[in-house]
Amino acid sequence: MVPQFTLQAPLKLPPQAVINHLEQLWRHPEEGYNGSATFTLVVWEPAWLEQHLARLGLLQDAVMGMQRPCLVDAARRAIGAYGLPSATAPLSHTLAQVLASQSGGNGVYDDLRGQAIESSISELQPHRMITLAPTINGEQPLDALVAAYCSLPEENSPGGSVCGDVLVLRGGAASIAEELDLLPRLIPSQLPCWVLWEGALGEHTDIFERLVAPPRRLIVDTALGETEPSLRILAQRIASGQAVSDLNWYRLGGWRESLAMAFDAQDRRAALGHVAQVDIDVEGDQLCQGLLLAAWIASRLQWSLRTGHRQQDSSVYRFQRPDGITVDLRLVSVPVGFPKPHAGSVLGLRLLCKPPGNRELCVVLCGEASGCMRLEGGDISSRDLVEEIVPLIEGSLEVQETRALAGGHDTTNPLLATTAQLADQMLATATAAASKA
Amino acid sequence: MAATLTNPLRVGLRQERVIPPQCLIVFGASGDLTHRKLIPALFELFLQRRLSSEFAVLGCARRPWSDEIFRQTMAERLQPAIAAHPQSWEQFSQGLFYEPVDLQQPEHLVRLAQRLEQVDRQRATRGERTFYLSVSPAFYGSGARALAGAGLLADRQRSRLVIEKPFGTDYASAQQLNRVVRSCGQENQIFRIDHYLGKETVQNIMVLRFANSIFEPLWNRNHISSVQITAAETVGVEQRASYYEQSGALKDMVQNHLTQMLALTAMEPPGRFEPESIRNEKAKVLQAAHLASPEQPWTCCVRGQYGSGGTAERPMASYRHEPGVDPHSTTETYVAVKLFIDNWRWQGVPFYLRTGKHLAKRLSEVTLTFRDAPVRLFDAAAGGVSANQFVIRIQPNEGATFRFEVKAPGSGMRSRPISMNFSYDDSFGEPSDEGYVRLLADAMLGDPTLFTRSDEVEAAWRLYTPILEGLKQSPDKFPAYPYEAGTWGPAESDELLARDGLLWRRP
Repeated sequence: MVPQFTLQAPLKLPPQAVINHLEQLWRHPEEGYNGSATFTLVVWEPAWLEQHLARLGLLQDAVMGMQRPCLVDAARRAIGAYGLPSATAPLSHTLAQVLASQSGGNGVYDDLRGQAIESSISELQPHRMITLAPTINGEQPLDALVAAYCSLPEENSPGGSVCGDVLVLRGGAASIAEELDLLPRLIPSQLPCWVLWEGALGEHTDIFERLVAPPRRLIVDTALGETEPSLRILAQRIASGQAVSDLNWYRLGGWRESLAMAFDAQDRRAALGHVAQVDIDVEGDQLCQGLLLAAWIASRLQWSLRTGHRQQDSSVYRFQRPDGITVDLRLVSVPVGFPKPHAGSVLGLRLLCKPPGNRELCVVLCGEASGCMRLEGGDISSRDLVEEIVPLIEGSLEVQETRALAGGHDTTNPLLATTAQLADQMLATATAAASKA
Repeated sequence: MAATLTNPLRVGLRQERVIPPQCLIVFGASGDLTHRKLIPALFELFLQRRLSSEFAVLGCARRPWSDEIFRQTMAERLQPAIAAHPQSWEQFSQGLFYEPVDLQQPEHLVRLAQRLEQVDRQRATRGERTFYLSVSPAFYGSGARALAGAGLLADRQRSRLVIEKPFGTDYASAQQLNRVVRSCGQENQIFRIDHYLGKETVQNIMVLRFANSIFEPLWNRNHISSVQITAAETVGVEQRASYYEQSGALKDMVQNHLTQMLALTAMEPPGRFEPESIRNEKAKVLQAAHLASPEQPWTCCVRGQYGSGGTAERPMASYRHEPGVDPHSTTETYVAVKLFIDNWRWQGVPFYLRTGKHLAKRLSEVTLTFRDAPVRLFDAAAGGVSANQFVIRIQPNEGATFRFEVKAPGSGMRSRPISMNFSYDDSFGEPSDEGYVRLLADAMLGDPTLFTRSDEVEAAWRLYTPILEGLKQSPDKFPAYPYEAGTWGPAESDELLARDGLLWRRP
């Protein structure tokens, strides 16, 4: 996917002049230019890591707020340059925090956030894209940048052009918060509105709460922040009845499909009722994706959570199956030399079934970039073995965002809803047990 | 969880392609197809969360219904299906609307356009529209013209037109209809439905052939001696006599469904899995196909008509005694044809197609029979060595079977055939979608892969033109041989294969 820049140079306006300007812009539908009747997209795009890399001269390109290969490369170089463990995920908040404490660099960079639109998103013809672009200089006053765009009309097409507009509010987080009252007047009530929160869940909670007021639909990425606030907020928003999509949940698609596939064969389906043990390996100590996968398995198989304990590099959860038998689920943090861009990616899964009177069945799934060796231990050769390599999910962050936008729902996917609640409960149980100890 | 018959991990994983916000406009909304197929298919898509919340159905027909009557009527007719999901139906039905429309009345079209604008605003459907002509085939051309005249097909990217079968009644009428339809919109806006292509197993023919390297090297005249394509029904003409009297089995089944199966079975591998590449290959193979004897089509076509049959407990009336059927009707309820394909892959390999009503079993399948082993080293336990066969079962018991010879147990070296079986039910954790679910979704997604293009339709009609013209000019050369209801068709059909030393498969 290629980012597309706005066709005209954005107009810099005082924030209070924005509404008037936009009203003028769409006042002449008789000339064949209509604002598209699609949806509004509000993006919280802090791009802290990208800004710091640019400030320190580690990223030569302009800051765009997009997950580009050059950004991941620059982040990997920074991990080496600042002596962070090689297991640090390039797009993790850990790296951004370390860079924030570094001085140096000339501090000058182009900031094009909100002005470059992913082509897959622009194809959906959003009516309005509002980007909130907080700067790392918290004192920076607010700029408003406005641009309109129209898709090029097709040859011989009698219809008028469908147009949209782009608005960027750029400045320190405090100045953005001050002008947030503008937003309801900028979001047409008759069109659906998505809020894409591209920051860590748990940061700037005041802005978050005001931005995501229902019925706006929320898209988050639980891979971007700390485990606990990410899962807690995800579960809270879902419980409140809001429509929520989690990009980290989309990334689990390959794992869920591969595991389901292992039990599609009729002669294996019965074994699902006799799962005795589950092991999940994840990269580093961001556990959201691992917990979501664990909770999905547990909820689909109707297990009840009994206990949870956190050890140094792992957590153990005990569930009860509907037939009363206990199941142990172990989530292990594994350091890797060349981590995936996002923190906490699932590396492997082992599921052991012990159907009474039948041979034990062991399913081992491993990521294509990591070996299965650790999960192949434990005398699995004496069991029926199903071993699969799970391909990486194709598509960039923006493609996943497009999926969420294109197939819009005003309710949360029930599978995610159930899973997120249980994942949050698992984490809370382990945290409570740790604090007692 | 003691008996895990379904796979609980499979639930909810079918959300790959979500249909973008849009309005589906169904013409003929008070008709059978709408409540039997279309609305159930849409409700299934809704349950699978493949419809976005910004979705609407605008039913259109001449009856002066309101939105509420349309919703109630659909609810009553879908009752068993919605009883399990009352809340979901409540949500789904909020997106159902109705507008009385006669496509022949220009002022109705003006009103329709206004109503669509209103639905767009109310449901935020973004001006994306799929028009579905579920009306009498006689109105396909005028319906398309009316929509184009009202400017409703002008947006090439955001408006689509779905047309049900039959597309024409012969080669000339299909050409004429194609000319009309193409004057109303671009080819990529037109979706000609053949619901057989919505079947998972029909699509699986492509996957079997082109995702595996073991089949394709054998899939040609060097290894395959003949191909049989069968679509057998156990039901009679039922309530469709007025339509069936005009069409008969050839137009009702062979020209479309069986010919599409033929195209998928015989086509060359496409360079890419994209709609135009696939449709190019299908069109090419149909253009290369011809009746075994186009000059004397009666020698390669057997027509039949069911007589009475069945059992004392379940008697079956003859076709001529069915309600609405002419007592002297010569319409065929069974037809078998022999074809060849003139290309490098298939030169000389006969393709036998058959279909019929009131046959012994309900099934659709493609059977590829392989050439005999060049040297017979072993005696067969049952007297004769049977040829290797690969059977793709379209319905029921969807799957595939490969039959080959193995050593029969014992001290001698005798061979006997065994079957290696693949069954969709056994291998996958959930049932396949009904064909309309897939096809409606694809049309709304704008994916034409499983829809027939104008040149395919014309090539399919041209293939059978010698028979259709022969029927008009010399009907006595194409008698409809009687066969007993509940059997495998007339004896003359067996003779068609017997002349080539072959037998129909009797599954």
